[in-house]
Amino acid sequence: MPKDTIKTRLEIAKKKYDKKNLEKNSQSSSKLGLAFKMSTELVAAVLVGTIIGFILDNWFGTKPWLILIFFFVGVVAGIVNVIKTAKNMQK
Amino acid sequence: MYQFNVHRIGPEIKLGDIDISFTNASLFMVISSVAILIIFNLGSKKNSLVPSKIQLLAELSYSFVSKMISDTAGSKAKPYFAFIFSLFMFVLFCNMFGMIPYSFTVTSHIIVTFVLAAFIFIGVTVIGFIKHGFGYLKLFVPSGVPMILLPLIVVIEIISYLSRPISLSVRLFANMMAGHTMMKVFGGFVVSLGIIGGWLPLSFSVALTGLEILVAFLQAYVFAILTCIYLNDALNLHH
Repeated sequence: MPKDTIKTRLEIAKKKYDKKNLEKNSQSSSKLGLAFKMSTELVAAVLVGTIIGFILDNWFGTKPWLILIFFFVGVVAGIVNVIKTAKNMQK
Repeated sequence: MYQFNVHRIGPEIKLGDIDISFTNASLFMVISSVAILIIFNLGSKKNSLVPSKIQLLAELSYSFVSKMISDTAGSKAKPYFAFIFSLFMFVLFCNMFGMIPYSFTVTSHIIVTFVLAAFIFIGVTVIGFIKHGFGYLKLFVPSGVPMILLPLIVVIEIISYLSRPISLSVRLFANMMAGHTMMKVFGGFVVSLGIIGGWLPLSFSVALTGLEILVAFLQAYVFAILTCIYLNDALNLHH
């Protein structure tokens, strides 16, 4: 068998292998990352919302109201985060 | 718990009112950075075709991180390889050095992880503004939203953007601290149950050690991969 055909065959096989490997890896690994992302993002958004509400309350002197509103906005933001991540996972 | 205590090593150094003395936390950061430097210097010194063990280690971690970046953030993120690679290695080595008995886990303190996450957050935001100008603010305005809902959506998007460094730092810190606390609790059970009942918690803490090593690697990986994801959002704006 001439050298060239072996070379091309080797290259084709290598490409196939790379492709397969890439698909397998990107599926398992980045999804694991996304799963970890979801778990804390829900909590973090609530925390950030509450902190923003607390700061704004201190600025405007409207003690309990803004912290309440921003707490719920934070909850919504957390849920939106999780939905976004889940949508990305489905793609 | 004693293993989480930060105490001073050597003389007290003060910069104005701020205490910048050398602590055991700084010692373990220095140890992990030096270990990384040594391994990668030895690994890249001699480029033999058949790699030695240490060269194999260096090459494997290089291709691992390089693949992770191209998978999640695309080819545009290549210039940031050095940053993400050193970040991943630093977190990984800090986590792994924490697994050695009597050592100190740097990443089990929220301030350390928060500083790392805050650097990433500020850096990614600056990169986004440099690449897209004020168009980067479009990130907060998703397309196809009715005008009435827009103010609420923008507030929600801003909160979810600001929650990134918090979630990034809390995840690493909580996983490391919870794992070490759990091992301490099971170790306490071994002592209090004595020689008859102590075998069960002992086997548990052996299993937990294995789990903790997995978690130490996984959290470093997740930290790096989320940096890539945030970088991807800043580089390839699509909304």
